[in-house]
Amino acid sequence: MADDKKALNREAAPKKRLSRRDFLVTGGAVVAVDALVAVTPAAAAAVPAAAPAAATYPASKGYLVYDSRKCAGCTTCMLSCSLVHYGVQNLSRARIQIMQDSFGKFPGDVIMAPCRQCKVPVCVQSCPVGAAYVDTENGNVRRIDSAKCIGCKTCLKMCPQQPHRTVWVMIDGKGKSSKCDLCLDTPYWDEKGGPGGKQACVESCPMKAIRFVAEMPDQKETEGYDVNLRNDHWYNLGLVDNSTIEPKRNPVWKVGGGE
Amino acid sequence: MKGGYTGKILRVNLSTRTIGTIDTAKYEEFGGGHGIGSAIFFDLVGDQLPFEAFDPRNLIIMMASPFSGTFMPGSGRCEVQGMGPMLYPVEWFAHSNFGGRFTAQLKFAGWDGIVVEGAADDPVWINIVNDKVTIESAKGIWGMDTWDTQEEISRRVMPGLRYGEWAELARDQETTQSPAVVCCGPAGENRSRMGALLHGPGSQAALCGFGGVFGSKKLKAISAIGTGDVPIADPKAFMAARLWFRQFQWDVDNPREAERFGAGGPYALISGRPSGGNVLNRELPLTPARAAACASCPRGCRMRLATGDSNESVCAGTMVITVNGSVKFTRQGNDLMQKYGLGHWQLMPLLSYLEALHKKGILGKGKQIDTDLPLDRPGTFAYAEAVMRAIAYREGIGDDLAEACARFAKKIGRYDQDVNDGTLSLAYWGTANHYDPAIEAEWGFGSLLGERDLMLHQMSNYPIHWMAWSGDPYLTAEEVSRLYTDAMVPYQGDPFMVDHSDGPTGIYSDSKVKQVAWIKHYEKFWIGAGGFCGWRWPMCITNNTADRRGATPEAEPKFWNAVTGDNRTFADYMELGHKIYTLDRSIWTLQGRHRDMEVFPDYIYDRPSVGHDMTMYIDGRWQYAKGTGRTLDRAKVEDFKTRFYKFEGYNPENGYPKRDTLEKMNLGKVADLLQTRGKLG
Repeated sequence: MADDKKALNREAAPKKRLSRRDFLVTGGAVVAVDALVAVTPAAAAAVPAAAPAAATYPASKGYLVYDSRKCAGCTTCMLSCSLVHYGVQNLSRARIQIMQDSFGKFPGDVIMAPCRQCKVPVCVQSCPVGAAYVDTENGNVRRIDSAKCIGCKTCLKMCPQQPHRTVWVMIDGKGKSSKCDLCLDTPYWDEKGGPGGKQACVESCPMKAIRFVAEMPDQKETEGYDVNLRNDHWYNLGLVDNSTIEPKRNPVWKVGGGE
Repeated sequence: MKGGYTGKILRVNLSTRTIGTIDTAKYEEFGGGHGIGSAIFFDLVGDQLPFEAFDPRNLIIMMASPFSGTFMPGSGRCEVQGMGPMLYPVEWFAHSNFGGRFTAQLKFAGWDGIVVEGAADDPVWINIVNDKVTIESAKGIWGMDTWDTQEEISRRVMPGLRYGEWAELARDQETTQSPAVVCCGPAGENRSRMGALLHGPGSQAALCGFGGVFGSKKLKAISAIGTGDVPIADPKAFMAARLWFRQFQWDVDNPREAERFGAGGPYALISGRPSGGNVLNRELPLTPARAAACASCPRGCRMRLATGDSNESVCAGTMVITVNGSVKFTRQGNDLMQKYGLGHWQLMPLLSYLEALHKKGILGKGKQIDTDLPLDRPGTFAYAEAVMRAIAYREGIGDDLAEACARFAKKIGRYDQDVNDGTLSLAYWGTANHYDPAIEAEWGFGSLLGERDLMLHQMSNYPIHWMAWSGDPYLTAEEVSRLYTDAMVPYQGDPFMVDHSDGPTGIYSDSKVKQVAWIKHYEKFWIGAGGFCGWRWPMCITNNTADRRGATPEAEPKFWNAVTGDNRTFADYMELGHKIYTLDRSIWTLQGRHRDMEVFPDYIYDRPSVGHDMTMYIDGRWQYAKGTGRTLDRAKVEDFKTRFYKFEGYNPENGYPKRDTLEKMNLGKVADLLQTRGKLG
């Protein structure tokens, strides 16, 4: 049963439509910077004369992988993220985004979108003021310092993912970029976060569809991150992703008949 | 501002096409959801009662709770209130509710609820995008089924939205979410008393006929999308509570006693496991599917399938239509019910009734009740489609069927006969018999002393009846009677509250009075005002903990106080539930309710029970038993009612609330109005 499972490496993830953005980052270098200037005037003014090329960054010591077939779309992860970082509940503030189409067909009816802590963090690379940075003191997590952020949205536009994993939030009435910090800075949660610590989304997900890993996932498209986190207990509920799977416990309705 | 609330309730008058607000603070004493809805109903139209449900004065009130938009487990439901045209003989002020994500989006948009007054002269829908609210023409939408309506409205609200992308509602208002839409279908448009409200493909407000009220107001839909904050009074405590609650959830990777609780059968519905609510994906080969949750639900009882049919429907939403030999067409038949916007819990007894009349030779082509419906082809898609279409569009006999079960029976002159002998299996106020009132008495009494089928499975129904029915109960009858009632604060410590024998401590006892009161109070506050799901709450026991103790009564105030900043006990909130129930009862009294009306049809009393697994205390010993052959004693039921009215502070002679009861609850103005009508208890 469930022989097709490949832990942490599912081959059947829904393919994302390739877009122009997908070709922006190759071989560790940003090869197209025209989009950088097509942003706000503030950004244009702040753009350095020449974007850094072929920069190298120390790899993050932590990543979030997920299983979009296991996700039930309850949005608890999003609300946990919003709560621990901002003290409120708001899907738009969440640094992990879950999108779903109630009328859609499994498995394409859910898209999970956490930050990938990219090998080449384009948000860091493209930030004109250094607000996005690699936190070398905390496991090389890619972070954004909202105090430094000027709200130019460059990182939103340059993020190679759809939807962009940098998130636009209002802080003290000003628009700022934010992103997943693996819960390094959670003013409303007294847990140690970051690599080696806990993440609110991982802890709160009732389906255990998000997992922290220390090893860098395959950077190709979604396959490296959208992995199989299900075991036989899941399939035995009758929740299969392949009609050839026959759960050990056949979910046919049976009634015992009372005592 | 107090946590959990956005601070304002949207007030839309369709007759004058005006939009206003109500300060939530004015009604905070009622908690949220149902409590606030009842208070607003009383304030706006209480003194005009009685009038009919399709009168423009009737209101549609859709209230969120302080939990809506938060990750409070199992709080994603939207309470709908107003006078219910399905109900009989009086269209009581009633409630229905539906799951999904509507109230979450409403809260993110900055609204604690919606009150709709009046009626439009042309079809309209209400568009809520954060604080921008408009009444839009429904041209091009009126006439659509519920699924097309939601997709078309989503396109109109967010024409630039692409699934899987961010969209900007306005400057600095970004979201990846799509609008949450609730609407009526053709059945509602045509004022069917069976008209449901649909949100998503399968989330119905099925009872009471609120789809028909939408139609009477020429209101096709309400859409909400927002990007704002839901404030939380104590975020750290709220996060801690959410993580604490994990111990009560089904552990998806390592469930407790997986072989026992993870198998098909009754535990599929009651163990808290994902999916299981959709009964149409149990046969091999299974259709690939996911468990699909309402907002913030840790269970996810619904499914979304690889075929895209039967999505998000559960229980009766997957059980009303059966197409023999085809799961595929059975799913699609039930989906057709959702698209027409027909209330499943009324369509089910109606179809059975049609079959019974046909078998008796009363209904059919050339029969006493003449119809072209293909009644000789039950179990086919063609039959199901023909019947549902006739009802939804009021074609032929469908014009009478659209009046729902009770009024259809009345129209053909068979109500008294067929309801009293059970041919038409209605039990309480025109809604279907659900669980045997002679055995699971609290379900029957709780419905009769309310305004519709109780529909609260997490009372002693799932935890006790279904557990016993499984044939493999995880607690003995003695254990469950003690553990379950331990959680029933403030009446804890009386195990006879769940004695379903007909002995001295059984279904007519003072202990049962307390259980029914507890159910009504919990229903009104936690379920109604808190937006709780009746499949998750209360949780007096659970198979998911080692000691089988559930989250009730610790969880409810833990979460509520963290969100709102209140500092009250479970018992305090239950007394608020008593207050809300008393207010509802006062409104019913203004509509004509009297204790003499609170009686079951004859067959409920007289037909010997076929048996119903329950806890019973017999000959000094707790046991699971069925009570087969039992009938319900009329005199003892009346005596039970008398003691119940006294217990709740109502006049036992008529069931009317008393002044001192109302004044203690700060409902003096309600007492004043009842007195002017000569209906003060």
